[in-house]
Amino acid sequence: MFYKALNGVKVLEFGNLISAPFCAKILGDLGAEVIKIEEPEIGDTSRKQEPFLKDIPGTERSGLYQYVNMNKLGITLNLETTTGKKIFGELLKTADIFVENNPPKRMKELGLDYKSVKKINPRIIMTSITPFGQTGPYKDYKGGELVATHLGGVGYLSTREGDASKEPLKYPAHLFSFQAGLCAAGATLGYLYGQKITGEGTQIDVSEQESVIQNVNASIARYSYTGQISRRTDVLDLAPHHILPCKDGYIYASFVEEHQWRRFVEVMGHPDWADSELFANAQIRSQYWDALKPLMLEWTMEHTVEEIYRNSQEKGIPLGAVRNAAQVLEDKQMKAREFFVDIDRAKTGKLTFPGVPYRFSEIQREAPVAAPLLGQHNEEIYCKRMGYTRIDLDKLKEAGVI
Amino acid sequence: MDTAPLKGLRVVALTWVWAGPWMGAVLADMGAEVIKVETRQRLDAQRVVKLTKDSVEDINMGQFNFTNRGVKSCTLNLKQPEGKELFKKLVKVSDAVITNLSPRVLPGWGLDYPALKEIKPDLIMVTLPAFGSEGPDKDYVSYASTIEAVGGLNISFGYPNEPPVLSGTYPADPIGSIYGLVGFLAALNYRTETGKGQLVDVAQSEGVTSLIPEVIMEEVMNGRTRPRMGNRDEIMAPHACYLCKGEDKWVAIAVGNDVEWQAMCKVMGNPDWCKDEKFADQYNRWQNQDELNKLVGSWTKDFTNTEVMTMLQKAGVAAGSSLDIGELVRDPHVVKRGAIIQQNHPVGGKINVYRAPWKSALTAKNPPAPCLGQHNDYVFKTLLGMSDSEVARLSEEKVIY
Repeated sequence: MFYKALNGVKVLEFGNLISAPFCAKILGDLGAEVIKIEEPEIGDTSRKQEPFLKDIPGTERSGLYQYVNMNKLGITLNLETTTGKKIFGELLKTADIFVENNPPKRMKELGLDYKSVKKINPRIIMTSITPFGQTGPYKDYKGGELVATHLGGVGYLSTREGDASKEPLKYPAHLFSFQAGLCAAGATLGYLYGQKITGEGTQIDVSEQESVIQNVNASIARYSYTGQISRRTDVLDLAPHHILPCKDGYIYASFVEEHQWRRFVEVMGHPDWADSELFANAQIRSQYWDALKPLMLEWTMEHTVEEIYRNSQEKGIPLGAVRNAAQVLEDKQMKAREFFVDIDRAKTGKLTFPGVPYRFSEIQREAPVAAPLLGQHNEEIYCKRMGYTRIDLDKLKEAGVI
Repeated sequence: MDTAPLKGLRVVALTWVWAGPWMGAVLADMGAEVIKVETRQRLDAQRVVKLTKDSVEDINMGQFNFTNRGVKSCTLNLKQPEGKELFKKLVKVSDAVITNLSPRVLPGWGLDYPALKEIKPDLIMVTLPAFGSEGPDKDYVSYASTIEAVGGLNISFGYPNEPPVLSGTYPADPIGSIYGLVGFLAALNYRTETGKGQLVDVAQSEGVTSLIPEVIMEEVMNGRTRPRMGNRDEIMAPHACYLCKGEDKWVAIAVGNDVEWQAMCKVMGNPDWCKDEKFADQYNRWQNQDELNKLVGSWTKDFTNTEVMTMLQKAGVAAGSSLDIGELVRDPHVVKRGAIIQQNHPVGGKINVYRAPWKSALTAKNPPAPCLGQHNDYVFKTLLGMSDSEVARLSEEKVIY
């Protein structure tokens, strides 16, 4: 955990890949006890996903898996078996929260849909994250990062000043799967509070498509008022509003307010062309962007990312450095806030991971716990807590239950 | 019993633009009473957005109406001493303050957490600065795109062998919102156990970085920045967008294994090229995906994206139309789920607003976003017990303004 905010809260996770495991990670980060259930022998699919330490794949070598599953206990359990179901039922009885991201059909087949789960534990909060939610015509459709991006309306708008001849562009990595997991955690915490006050449980039906939709703010407003359809090829009435190359990388430059542009002209050392009427305001600069761009590049290419970023920010200009991963890891602001954390783990040794973006004034920050090895806490949970013997454990393993 | 979980909780919102307001709207969805304190002195930038060159500016007709659903609005000039006092009185009868104003603003007004804590000892306060409220760059200014760039999103965002690109929709804002929500609710749960309130400080840039761990771990584990790879996945192929019938109409297809690939071949009518050993297994398909994508595209172009999506999904293959905003609003699934609903805003008219991305039986039913100062009477007279004449005087003196 990072912060002991949710002392005594018990979470059961039957998740795979990103959305549900990330939701449960956030609860674990905040001090809840999370028990993650993985399929025996195979484990979470994210164990097979890049990046791997030194590019060597292996069940315990994925950086993605280790990040998404820190601050959890890990057990293996086969929910297709009768004994597996029984054990799961016992775990469920003592849980406050159950997080999962399986197809609704599969959950029903396993007897783990909300109706059945509620019978075992009426006060449970069941957070189900699926590509399209538990209801509606697409509920059994397959999703994933790329498909959700497009059915949620963001894909069509990506990327800004896009080229109509090129395919719309996916965001890097699994941004929107993570965002869905984040939203699920937010919702779960709200209903956890309700559970504490009223003792009531609920199912939270989180849709990855809807999580993407929350990002299309500007275009939905424009459509509602004017009926106009935003496109990725639209030219904004605003320039510069671009990523521009410079001597050793890229910067993001945008000047929504004119005083920002005037101060940036100072940063550039007042080139003559900046006084031209062609560049008098953002709208005109947008019209003459083809003429302005090479003039700006002439200057940016002679300066470093850091110089331009720092000098602009010192003057209150919201210009950004396009940081690469190494620079993010070295960013002095993130370092000052101790955002990154080192975690020592069997098999991969000590590695640096992103931490959490929040700080609490009344709760001391603690060191996070490494993601579990496959089945690492079987003995702890099955023997110490549930009373199975070591011999039982062996038999359960032989029977393919754990 | 249908009770939204945060019913009875009062939150004061000093929010503007997107990240702060969206957090308020989501809290209102969960049943909290969210009172936005704003002023004509400096309007929320989203109230005054001009949508087109020819459109009339109206302070009640901006993007504001999409991110402030269900909240109440009162006006108060916090630069005035009496404005500050009224604000403090409001805080005293509330549970929390949320804000995404620049970190310099509230200390300048004498309304930062230490000051407000004196009035309301168990107050929870959430701040959403771009880079955090402490540290050497705490005063750096930003738009969502600044945060995305500095957080490490853009460097790996683009077509292969081309420069990085800007995002089209500014996800840093809603990400910051929901991290604020998470921090707030964690503090709220903590308060029910301990009775203690606290300050929760969320750095939006760290929020972005925390959602792209692959990019960071690639550097940590292998010493390199993840390359820009367009729509490619690391394992799957096909994994791209394909042109369909119509103008700028695309369908996204993601094939995860051989079973799905065989199903897709069948849907395409098993053309000869499907049998080519270049596409025989996932490894080969991935290696030869440029050629594969051209061939798949030669099939999709004769159908609408909806037709391709429906055919493939029926066969168990992940596919989805690239919906434009009009199609999204009308999408049968979106409509059935009520993910986007039509609200009748007193000034904005019929508008399509999106709700929080989850459903629960225990959800509040809320009105549209408020007009500026719409709830002044409720806040100042009902909640704070002020007389008509006092409110009139303070309005006259531009305190309630």
